[in-house]
Amino acid sequence: MLFLQLLVNGIVTGCALGVVSFSFSLVYSTTKVFHVVHAGIYTLAGYLALTLAETGLPDGVALVAVPIVCAGAGALVQILLYAPLDRRRATHLAVLIASLGLLAIVQNAIAAVYSPNILQFPSAWRGQTLRFAGLTLTLVQVTTVLLSLLLYAATSLITSRTTLGKRIRAVASNPSLAEITRLEPARTYVAVMALASANVAIPGILVGLDLGLQPYTGTTVLLTGTVAVIAGGVGSLAGAFLLSIVITVMQNLSLLIMPGQWSVGITFLIFVLFMLWRPRGLFVAA
Amino acid sequence: MTTRPNGAGQYITRRALGGAVLAASLVTRARAAEPIQLGAVLPLTGPSAATGTQQQRGLQFAVARFNAAGGIAGRPVSIMFEDGQAKPDQSVLAFNKLADLNKVPVIFSGFSGPTLAMAPLATRKKVLLVNGGAQADRLATASPYLINTLPVVNDEVSVLARYLVDVGKKRAAILFQNDAAGTPGRDDFMAAYTALGGTVLGQEQSSFSQTDFRPALLKLNDLQPDVVFVMLTDGLSGFADQITQMKPPFMVAGTSFFSDPSARKLPGAQGFIHTQVRITAPPEIAAEFQKLTGTEMEFFGSQYYNSASIVFRTIESLLKQDREPTGEAIRARLLEIGTFNELTKTVFKKNTASMQVDIVKIEGGKDVFVKSYVSE
Repeated sequence: MLFLQLLVNGIVTGCALGVVSFSFSLVYSTTKVFHVVHAGIYTLAGYLALTLAETGLPDGVALVAVPIVCAGAGALVQILLYAPLDRRRATHLAVLIASLGLLAIVQNAIAAVYSPNILQFPSAWRGQTLRFAGLTLTLVQVTTVLLSLLLYAATSLITSRTTLGKRIRAVASNPSLAEITRLEPARTYVAVMALASANVAIPGILVGLDLGLQPYTGTTVLLTGTVAVIAGGVGSLAGAFLLSIVITVMQNLSLLIMPGQWSVGITFLIFVLFMLWRPRGLFVAA
Repeated sequence: MTTRPNGAGQYITRRALGGAVLAASLVTRARAAEPIQLGAVLPLTGPSAATGTQQQRGLQFAVARFNAAGGIAGRPVSIMFEDGQAKPDQSVLAFNKLADLNKVPVIFSGFSGPTLAMAPLATRKKVLLVNGGAQADRLATASPYLINTLPVVNDEVSVLARYLVDVGKKRAAILFQNDAAGTPGRDDFMAAYTALGGTVLGQEQSSFSQTDFRPALLKLNDLQPDVVFVMLTDGLSGFADQITQMKPPFMVAGTSFFSDPSARKLPGAQGFIHTQVRITAPPEIAAEFQKLTGTEMEFFGSQYYNSASIVFRTIESLLKQDREPTGEAIRARLLEIGTFNELTKTVFKKNTASMQVDIVKIEGGKDVFVKSYVSE
């Protein structure tokens, strides 16, 4: 039973991480920007949802409104930060440092406004549990799995079946050619940033509802997500999503055979070995 | 010829003597009214400011009450506050300013890291450092000039271990925060509990600001312990939430770190057992505090009021003996007096206070008294 509960918990955590990973992968494969501020938007979403919850609005409102606000925030990061840097031919390292700087600003601003302590949502439903076959899951955990799968399916559909998706793939594949053929990469980048930011807002809210909010947790989440992106194959949404689940399941199940303090280290050691075997990741980008 | 100069000399001598007596009397009067200035290094900004402000209010309240009652042996008392931000380096700078520039004989502090950083300076400069809030074990031996007015973690954990064995909870597991605050608590508990015949079945760690305790709780639950000793300084609300969802059969026990008002209200925290240093203000003092500060007299408000009162009484006793209240003299006199009955009975057999430690159970969002012990 311990095995099953750890496995299920790993899948739940992996689904939330998967959304962070595939949305980051979408940005990175299209814009080539190592968008560290993604962690800031993930964190910001949780705090915005908390503000709405504290005014007495149901959490469903936050799950709709906050992704829209975050989409706007993501678009602004592209327009006001990455696009000017790109126009000035800044190196990838300079862009990364700018992104890191903005992340620090966002996290510190959140800590200053809301406090650096762990904050809990006032919502009553987050404590409700479902029990079946000896397993216990909270309603928030079930919602996390369902919405994560839905987001993955919707984003996959958008990138593979829509005009925007075709444009994203074209820009990601050859930005210069896309410019010549009037696919307007600049506008595509803004759209991608908005889409990714809206996506990452959902786990930002749900993980906050489930475990509480802390201004600096987004960085660790993004770091783990980045490993999943690389191990899954850069540009592969499926790879990023799947490998996120594999990582968190491994972290949880490793507790069966070793103390908790070793689980993260051993899990990442396995991934280092995996990368030595398949340096381009499990799935090759489309 | 001789009388005149002699007469003048006598006259001059008499005048000089009179002047000297007048001057001496003025100096004595001036000195009698001279304020006694003490210092405090507390986190007044930054993440720990909420606690630091409570501590500051406790000190300010003590100053206000003593001054309203005529001061310390007729001399008004004041405390200069410096912001240490709970950082060792900032606190050392603040300590040096208060000790060297303001020449204060006593500095109040809180938080283990900053107090441990200031302790060697206290020894060197013979300034009495009075810690009313930090509980790391190392504080007990950090400096002869460091007085801890609160028992250290080891004292509380020993009491808890005694209680758990007394009630037959002899199989324990440990969840601890892997840092300077959590690791000594784990070690102290293991030593005290096993010495009393208890068995520690296993342990899991967490990190500061960790919010997901589910995997660790699942693993500890699998060991089927009677009790899980929890040594977390942060994230207790999340922990209590996850306990609600899991509904484990084991008892949850901890130390004063469980006195987190936001966590205490949560359904998951009901039934938690923890140690609590007994320091409750009588209703009239609590009401006066509320009137003066606009806030409730919480644990740290009471604790720092008690700490300041102990120091003020010691200074008063020195002044009554016409002795200068230097850091060295205050330290010696405080240990000489030994027992203080201010807000609570506080005994100093060494430089760390022995106090009454209660075992309490969280019920209905409040601490309900279970049993009492005296820390050693």
